[in-house]
Amino acid sequence: MSLSELKENKEAVVTNIVGDTRFVSRITSIGLTPGCSVLVVKNDKKRPMLVYSRDTMIALNKKECTGIMVEEVTA
Amino acid sequence: MRANATIALLGQPNAGKSTLFNALTGLRQHVGNWPGKTVEKKEGNFSHKGVNYKVADLPGSYSLSANSDEEVITRDYIASGDADIVCILADSSQLQRSMFMLADYAGIDVPCILLLNMADVAKQQGKSIDAKAIENKLGIPVIPFSATDKKSYDVFYNALDKAVASKNKLNIEALENKYESIEGFQQICGLIPNDAITGYSSTWLAVKAIEGDKVVMAKLSEVLDDSVMAQIESIAKETKGAVATGGCKFAWIDDVLDNAVSKKSKNIKLGKLDKIYLSRVWGKPAVVLTVILGLLASFIPAIPPMIIGSVVLMLKAPIASGLAAIGAPHILTLIINDVVIQSLSYIIKMLGFVFGVTLSFGLLEEVGVMARISYVFDNTMGKLGLQGKSVMPFLISFGCTMGGAAGARVIDNWGQKVLTIALAWAVPCGAAWATIPMLATIFFGPGAVAVIVAILLIMLVHMYVTAKVFGRKLVKKQDRYGMIMELPPYHKPKWGALFRYVLGRTKETFFRVTKVVLLVCGIFWALSYSPAGGNGGILYKVGTAIEPVTKAIGMPWQLFLSYIASAVGKEGAIGVISALYSGGSYSAAFTQAMSGGGVAGDLNSILLANVTKPEALAFMFAMTFNMPCVVALAATYQETHSAKWTAKIVLYYTVVSLLLAFLAYHVGLLIW
Repeated sequence: MSLSELKENKEAVVTNIVGDTRFVSRITSIGLTPGCSVLVVKNDKKRPMLVYSRDTMIALNKKECTGIMVEEVTA
Repeated sequence: MRANATIALLGQPNAGKSTLFNALTGLRQHVGNWPGKTVEKKEGNFSHKGVNYKVADLPGSYSLSANSDEEVITRDYIASGDADIVCILADSSQLQRSMFMLADYAGIDVPCILLLNMADVAKQQGKSIDAKAIENKLGIPVIPFSATDKKSYDVFYNALDKAVASKNKLNIEALENKYESIEGFQQICGLIPNDAITGYSSTWLAVKAIEGDKVVMAKLSEVLDDSVMAQIESIAKETKGAVATGGCKFAWIDDVLDNAVSKKSKNIKLGKLDKIYLSRVWGKPAVVLTVILGLLASFIPAIPPMIIGSVVLMLKAPIASGLAAIGAPHILTLIINDVVIQSLSYIIKMLGFVFGVTLSFGLLEEVGVMARISYVFDNTMGKLGLQGKSVMPFLISFGCTMGGAAGARVIDNWGQKVLTIALAWAVPCGAAWATIPMLATIFFGPGAVAVIVAILLIMLVHMYVTAKVFGRKLVKKQDRYGMIMELPPYHKPKWGALFRYVLGRTKETFFRVTKVVLLVCGIFWALSYSPAGGNGGILYKVGTAIEPVTKAIGMPWQLFLSYIASAVGKEGAIGVISALYSGGSYSAAFTQAMSGGGVAGDLNSILLANVTKPEALAFMFAMTFNMPCVVALAATYQETHSAKWTAKIVLYYTVVSLLLAFLAYHVGLLIW
């Protein structure tokens, strides 16, 4: 599933980044790479998503999040 | 004195680069553009123990890929070897992620040091970092640093001293081992000779080739055979690109930090302030309120210069009598008083405001509020091709366009900054709000409300259209992407560095702006001046001659000349109308009105007797959407560093305001 489908307070592990060179490069440089875990802090309509990963709060445009593939971690 | 050295500051956004730069250089800094580029270049200098250091503050970006002009300029500057030492900043409180810049740097053949900034924040969070352990693995000096701690600077200066002498380079062997796990990496490495592009190692180039870096590929194709390039391309295609290399970089960072960082686990929760700012419902009102409070706060430091600016005007009388006493020609008195003193008064008032706006919005940026503003307005502003932050200059412009232009400097992309300022001009400023409701009430009574609503609606359409017109050039389609940004934790401000920065910018603004204001005020004065006294002068002659044309736009010559005067300052436009219709000469009316001169007591009856309703409507639109004022023009030039774009914006606004006047006039004719 893509990161954008994940609900608030859910945790997941990034499995793949799909998109053009520029997109992949920008996403990896902010720290989201396959294998890293993310926590969805906020997922409101018409607002960027807020995720927490590698000790960092990251704001991501919704559209960009569809290219980040994740696997939900069920507690 | 020992030999001079140049250091470059490199780091991701929010790593504290600007704070360090301001703390090091203070007032000795200069902002310009990189040659031939639209990217801001910040340089400064300081000396320590007899060594003169030149500091280049490189644009902040998350990596050294070819995602933006900023990144390409940054890496080319570093590789050129102009800097003796590159000082790479990482944020100790999020060390793993912010070390990515170092990993991306690895392979560029220039000595560097690593600054673990925000050591105080990390400590607060219960993290401890063993800098020595990291230093041993990297082979370069690693310095824990906290901008608020005075002792930190001594450690930094000493390390810098040593680094300039020893010129240690980053040990990248372990990272290369990681890259070797990517199939094809070694092959590509073998195909690229180590001196293919000066400054970059074959490892670095091979990694960028795998990542599909177009700029690197283009440069390589200049030195390598087509067949070799084809080979590299086909091998790179089979890899997972930046996903693979990014994985290696973080795996290496993990190894470097292994056993060197310990932290207590903590719950991730939004703080109270963030619960409001990031709320779907309250976010926008909270941001708007914050900007308004910031604007009000800007007036506090702005008040003393505003008073001084008014006092300067009082010099006119003694200067006039003094010059008359020594028998100086009358025209000299006019030039000194109406051009030089008048401009000086404008500039001093303006500087107070620039100082206030830079301080209060620099503070919002520094403590981390600006990032929240970006988040909240990302969707809305994204539609115009802008960052969420652009909402701030727009709101400031309701008070003063010049403040809006000065506030736009927190926008880190040049194209977006220029576009933001261009759109901010469409927002009617305080001077327009002081005159339009009054004029509208005189002519339309309660209908004034409709006029104001119409102006606000047209403002929105104007901004939308202007974003389309200028946006294509300034923010290219491929540069428009959604937000990918860190939301930094709130920081305490570093007052000293902030004040030095604000003073530095104010000083620079003064020199640049003085030239522009003197020039433009001088031109307007010369065009208005009537040598024979009474009615005359170039503007008067042209204005009356082209009256048949301006009448079609809804403006008899009196209104048209007032419109022209409103480009210098909207405050004066009513004064000009009042003087012209009571039989005063344009030349005198212009200078009088510009110095805030008198409006006739019977303004209502003068206007109603001479101006028709459609003409009044035309004038209101023309004036509101005209160039805001001379100082706004100067501030625009100062922030954009581009005479060409400033001129384009002026021309565009002049044409559009006349067009709007034409439309308003003809709509008015249909109604009345």
